[in-house]
Amino acid sequence: MEIEVRNLHPLEIRLLRHVSLGEEITAQRLIEELDYKVGQCNQAFSWLLAKGLLVETGRRNRVFYELTDLGKEQQEKGTPVQRIFSLLEAQGPLSLPDIAFQLGLEKSEVGSAFGLLSKAGSCRMDADNKATIASGVLPAEVLVSKALFDKALQGALDESGLGEEERSYLSKNSKKRGAAGSPFKVIEREDVYYTLNEAGEAARRALELANLTGEELGAVTPAILSSGQWKSSTFRSYSLNTPPARLIPGRKNPYGSYLQWVKDKLCSLGFEEFDGPLVENEFWNGDALFMPQFHSARDIHDVYYVKNPSHAKMIEEPYLSQVAATHTNGWTTGSRGWRYEFDHEFTRRQVMRSQGTVLSAKTLPHAKIPGKYFGVARCFRYDQVDATHGADFYQTEGIVLGEDVNLKTLLGLLKMFAEEVAGAEEVKYVPGYFPFTEPSIEVHIKHPVLGWFELGGSGIFRPEVTKALGIDVPVLAWGLGIDRMALMHLGLNDLRELFTPDIESVRMRRGN
Amino acid sequence: MPKIEVQEQFFYDLIGRTCSDAQLEEILPVAKAELDGHDLAARVLKIELNDTNRPDLWSAAGIARQLNSYATGEVPLYDFFSTEEETFDHEGRTLIVHESASQVRPYSIGFALTGRKVDENILLNLIQSQEKICNNFGRKRKTIALGVYRSDLITYPVHFEGADPDTAHFVPLHMEEDLTLREICAKHPKGLEYGPIVADKPVFPFLYDDNGEVLSFPPVINSAHIGAVEVGDENLFFEFSGTGLDDLLLSAAIMACDCADMGFTILPVKCMFPYDTPYGREITVPYYFQNPIACELSFVQRMLGQKLSAEEVVASLRKMGVFSLVDSGMVYVTVPEFRNDFLHPVDIMEDVMIGYGLANFAPELPNDSTVGRITVEEAFARKVKDLMVGLGYQEMMYNYLGSKREYIDNMHVDGSRYIQIANPMSENYEYVRPSILPSLLESESVSGHATYPHHIFEVGKVAFLDDEDNSGTTTRNYLGFLSASSEMGFNQLNSLISTLFYFIGAEYTMEELVDPRFIEGRSGRLISKGRPVGIFGEVHPAVLESWGCSMPTIACEVDLDLVRS
Repeated sequence: MEIEVRNLHPLEIRLLRHVSLGEEITAQRLIEELDYKVGQCNQAFSWLLAKGLLVETGRRNRVFYELTDLGKEQQEKGTPVQRIFSLLEAQGPLSLPDIAFQLGLEKSEVGSAFGLLSKAGSCRMDADNKATIASGVLPAEVLVSKALFDKALQGALDESGLGEEERSYLSKNSKKRGAAGSPFKVIEREDVYYTLNEAGEAARRALELANLTGEELGAVTPAILSSGQWKSSTFRSYSLNTPPARLIPGRKNPYGSYLQWVKDKLCSLGFEEFDGPLVENEFWNGDALFMPQFHSARDIHDVYYVKNPSHAKMIEEPYLSQVAATHTNGWTTGSRGWRYEFDHEFTRRQVMRSQGTVLSAKTLPHAKIPGKYFGVARCFRYDQVDATHGADFYQTEGIVLGEDVNLKTLLGLLKMFAEEVAGAEEVKYVPGYFPFTEPSIEVHIKHPVLGWFELGGSGIFRPEVTKALGIDVPVLAWGLGIDRMALMHLGLNDLRELFTPDIESVRMRRGN
Repeated sequence: MPKIEVQEQFFYDLIGRTCSDAQLEEILPVAKAELDGHDLAARVLKIELNDTNRPDLWSAAGIARQLNSYATGEVPLYDFFSTEEETFDHEGRTLIVHESASQVRPYSIGFALTGRKVDENILLNLIQSQEKICNNFGRKRKTIALGVYRSDLITYPVHFEGADPDTAHFVPLHMEEDLTLREICAKHPKGLEYGPIVADKPVFPFLYDDNGEVLSFPPVINSAHIGAVEVGDENLFFEFSGTGLDDLLLSAAIMACDCADMGFTILPVKCMFPYDTPYGREITVPYYFQNPIACELSFVQRMLGQKLSAEEVVASLRKMGVFSLVDSGMVYVTVPEFRNDFLHPVDIMEDVMIGYGLANFAPELPNDSTVGRITVEEAFARKVKDLMVGLGYQEMMYNYLGSKREYIDNMHVDGSRYIQIANPMSENYEYVRPSILPSLLESESVSGHATYPHHIFEVGKVAFLDDEDNSGTTTRNYLGFLSASSEMGFNQLNSLISTLFYFIGAEYTMEELVDPRFIEGRSGRLISKGRPVGIFGEVHPAVLESWGCSMPTIACEVDLDLVRS
């Protein structure tokens, strides 16, 4: 296996540089010789094993002795044996209870310690039944224990490095479990032994050749820069293959970006944006568009009514009178009208805007001639919500006013939208029907990805619409179904996804 | 949009040729129709009709008539229509409308036919036409109800009156019991469905023959005897009742033309009214009531953007089945018997356009120069969005309708200034969004799996009650943002607001706010130029609990329309 040694971690490099082929490597060794922490040893071993530079040669159980809390106390104050001996040396004969009292020891502790002292001939019981010094020499075991306690204070004692007497002492004064009453606790540990293999040796030689020591600089710090340390050191190489950590950026919503793109496109084609309130009345939502008040699309099952206030206070004049007369008998628009009695109460009833064309109608009374307008309007429909119907959704609509606009310019406009906004390859026009336009044209396009589909509806506003709102020139009206392209753009196939509240889903959305 | 089903062969017979689906798709747009499906097993074509103002197209015969005219340039001729000048012999068939009918359903007309046996296809087509005319054109029988009867069993004159709902009675179709009209409204499925149309009237419509044999209770149900038309019947009587005479005459014309096209002989019926109608007190049906319409040739040319000759206009209209002539620069149109959709000269122009063929008009770009621009609100919204993105926030976009639970209960507010929908389809869409905060919190409630911290915002519209406005409501452009993170609190929020307002270029101050949506003492109101323009704070744990959120959350909402101006 070919190893790029420049990508090795300093912990790995230092290990490799430190050992030679055939040598036994243990964590203990790294701790002692390279000053590694236990965790660093584990990291270095696992990385090198994974890279195949190191092999495990065996495992061995090792026994250690560690001071317990009691042991630490005895190391400081001495063992009961030492303390009794010292006390008797200082104060002369004392009864066992006196000794226990003065040293703050349990009677049983004093008893067993004195037993040991008298057995070794260091002390004896005198005639008054008081303990007293006999030989004046401490038992050999006491000397051994003192040295052990001091050594153990520096760290756990490795059984393999102990002498016979030490082992003997420890075996009597230690426990594996429940060691609180003993000065030493027995710890068993498994040591793992590793050695370099051929690949490891090759890596070691490669490191030497590359002159990598593991002491190269890691993160560049202000100190490294200001001290000039970088001039005399080399920088450690970082791996290009490390999986990058995830970043979560602040981002615009891709659907919003798409709508913004459409708006900018329309602006570039000379269209001025319009907007309006979400709550409309029947007058603007339908009457002004010459939809008869009994039209089926104005049914309670098609439009959302506002509960309260259910009606607008008033409708602007002279538009109300003109529209009402147009419905009834055509007014002066040249139409015969729908021939019914216009309902002035119904016209004030408030609804949630159900079509973007409302805004086109509202723009007419103050529109410039020539003029081009558009809006991306949130609309509301009484529809069962599913993959192709939302409770509310955007419609993109607009108008073109001019003395000279006509069917052919309408077709030209649709062609321009098809090519510029939808990227269509082919365009087909089909007669359509909308209550407010005559003629009405649907434009179907062949999209490079979606194939043939209906891009939008359009037409020339009926004079019943325009004249009643004070406009005497022809007005082209159009609407584009851009949601389908938006879905394609976002790689989605469900309209509900456009307004999803799911943060992760929006975060990951790219847009094409 | 009406959709109809037509039997393949029956339709091909009517148009005189067999068509592939592709050919049909090619020619159907002439009738503003689309092939919606083709059930190959049942040999049934499904066709969708887009023109809601052309009920004559909502049948196999109607579509075939239009396609045939387009193919041949022939205007169809029907010789059974009486006019103001000429009345056909009704041969004793009369329908008498009684004065009492004016209290409930003022008009009833009819005609009869004979000449061929009703077969299965014809029966299917008659039933479908009846349904389309009554439901789509007649607004679910409210303005038009159409019944078909076995005229062999009828003794003329037929009578139409407003009858006492509790004494008039008969055995309705699909039942065996003799019921009064009121009982039918309560017991018969059709009574339950259509009874409400007349339920509040003092009398109910009632149709019976001179022997007292009942035809029907329009617009609800036929009788089980005279009103049960079957395959094999040869003599039928059609009756149309409703509220507008023109719609009834048009419906009768459409049915009569369809039946004539299917090979029947139409037999006129004299309809007599006790009151004046635009066409007199006696009308022999089918009756041609339409007025001619005319417009300048130059108008057609100008609107279409093409200098069509008089001959081209006449020929184009013929292809649409419309007879016309051009004289001294005027186009005079004779409206076909089965149509009543010529309201304005633009309607002539559109028929010329379709007849001439849309493909024959070359697209031209409008050459008026205009300046494009976005609204000031949009420009400002973009600026704010850019700032929020720069501050590390993800833009969200939400629906504007929601439930009481989301907007009121979970937010611990009373919702008294919120706009409610009177006819919600479901409780999920019962209120208009008054604030962006519930939308943002909804995101939190469904996004526990998304890596924290969450920083989200929306610039969008909200609407709520406002007495000042003509509508009693106001729609406003708002910014709302929210952070859910164990490391975000009041101080970070304060910094965000300060940064935002600095770059927006608006001065602001803060004042204390007590609002159940926020922790008291850790929330505030933003004041700019003396007006409250927003609120902010640490979201109250009770609100978080209602949304099922367990991450500390801060939120802020700003009225961009107020901050901008």
